[in-house]
Amino acid sequence: MKEKRNVLLLALPCTLTLLIAFIIPMVYTFIKALINDNLTYYTKFFTDPFYMKIFGNTIKLSLKTTLLTLVLGYPSAYFIARTKSKIKSILIIATIFPFLVSAVIRAYGWMVILGDSGILNQFLLNAGIIDSPIKIMYTETAVMIGMAQLVLPYMILSITGVIQNIDPNVENAAKSLGANPVQTFFKVTFPLSAPGVISGCILVFTMGMTSYITPQLLGGAQYLTMSTLVYSQIKTTYNLEFANAICYILVFAILIFQIVANNISNSVNKRLGSGKNA
Amino acid sequence: MRDERVNWFSKLVTVLAYTFILAPMIIIVIISFNSGEAIQFPPSGVSLRWYEYIVTGPTNFLKGLGNSLKVAAIATVFDIFIGVFASLSVTKYNFKGRGLLVSFFTSPMFIPSISFAFVLLRTTAAIKMMTPFSKILVGHLIIILPYIIRNTMSILVNYNWTVEDAAASLGANPAQVFFKITLPLIKPGIISGAMLSFLYSFDEAVISSFLTSAKFLTLPVQIINYLEFTFDPTVAAISTILMAASLVIMILINKFVGLDSMIN
Repeated sequence: MKEKRNVLLLALPCTLTLLIAFIIPMVYTFIKALINDNLTYYTKFFTDPFYMKIFGNTIKLSLKTTLLTLVLGYPSAYFIARTKSKIKSILIIATIFPFLVSAVIRAYGWMVILGDSGILNQFLLNAGIIDSPIKIMYTETAVMIGMAQLVLPYMILSITGVIQNIDPNVENAAKSLGANPVQTFFKVTFPLSAPGVISGCILVFTMGMTSYITPQLLGGAQYLTMSTLVYSQIKTTYNLEFANAICYILVFAILIFQIVANNISNSVNKRLGSGKNA
Repeated sequence: MRDERVNWFSKLVTVLAYTFILAPMIIIVIISFNSGEAIQFPPSGVSLRWYEYIVTGPTNFLKGLGNSLKVAAIATVFDIFIGVFASLSVTKYNFKGRGLLVSFFTSPMFIPSISFAFVLLRTTAAIKMMTPFSKILVGHLIIILPYIIRNTMSILVNYNWTVEDAAASLGANPAQVFFKITLPLIKPGIISGAMLSFLYSFDEAVISSFLTSAKFLTLPVQIINYLEFTFDPTVAAISTILMAASLVIMILINKFVGLDSMIN
């Protein structure tokens, strides 16, 4: 009885704060819009090819970003997890430090490099490789580069964790049974590291879908994603009701994705777990 | 033998990946010391003129800095109080629905910032007495809460609750047990969580840019606005200072709890 009272007292301030400032506004705004306009703006979004294309582009961008960070992140994570040299701790610091640097600053770094008069174009022009600056800013490429750099450390950390827990003797056993390094990797190491790969991919994909600062600064109004579309609906077309619908489409898309992805990841973990016992 | 497992391929990709991660930040530092008019690489000379320009230029970045510090400090202190209590409720006691309560406490993590920012913009517009400062503060309170709770929980999960019983059996009252035993033991975790959350709020720009007004701007919003019209190395100079501050915070966290705790 006393325990129940303690739990209630301890949880109360946080619960009230979340209800008042988060849950109630989120639910209230959704229901109010639904009552006022039915599904008008949701229908508008899903029937207009212009907006569906932006939705599709955002998914495509997030998938590409996930793939790029996986390709760069997996070998890096493998190196960090397995190396015994001192560079390991330096790499861990270099992975964590970007977490503490604002997305604004990191996007600015890419503006400096990729801009029309940026460092890359300066270099290419001076070297005589191109005659006029190539346009990278405000394209999908710029946003993808910025996003990938933003989320790569998440991917690396998430995979490093699982590889560190794989006993190197398991790999050695495969090799002594005649598997070559490539076979060992694809039949032993990679499957065992699947949980880290999956959770890294879920995280990176979600961030790709929802990030705002990076696409705003590197894509601007010329390359819109779902989140920058919300901004443009507010600032340029003053269509608050439509912006509202886009916000909730994003919320539900992410929730559905998280539920499906977590189910997949759970079943993979379970299979690995039962494999270990067998 | 030593690095036999780590073949040349993973080494090569690691070099590429870390060049990719670090290059933009290193370039920012280099161009911030440029003596020329525009962004040049390599710089035409070394000077501190852009650092001076942070203070002497037309944008009052110091005011934005003050605003950001104010929001981050108040949000962090408030969240430490409610967050530590909430973490205690779900780690100290075992009850039905505990997992559900943890999900509820960390729920702001699963909602896109842009959507929450927009909802706050709409709902707070109806409340006349709310200033842009209090609106941004409320937004930050909510989005950094999950980080404080997760950080504190990760410490409390491994906490040995029997020391509390020991203190109590020796005659300490519940308040004494909390302040003399529990709090000192979980303090390092709370401090590192607080520093991370402070930094998150300080750097946050989505909620801030939606709820801002000309009268109350935070530093990240000022930087975004500045970049819209001017593209000189002033922002590089500000960024360099902020990155140096982040480095100091990282060293402090390493001292308190070790960087390993940040890997999960």
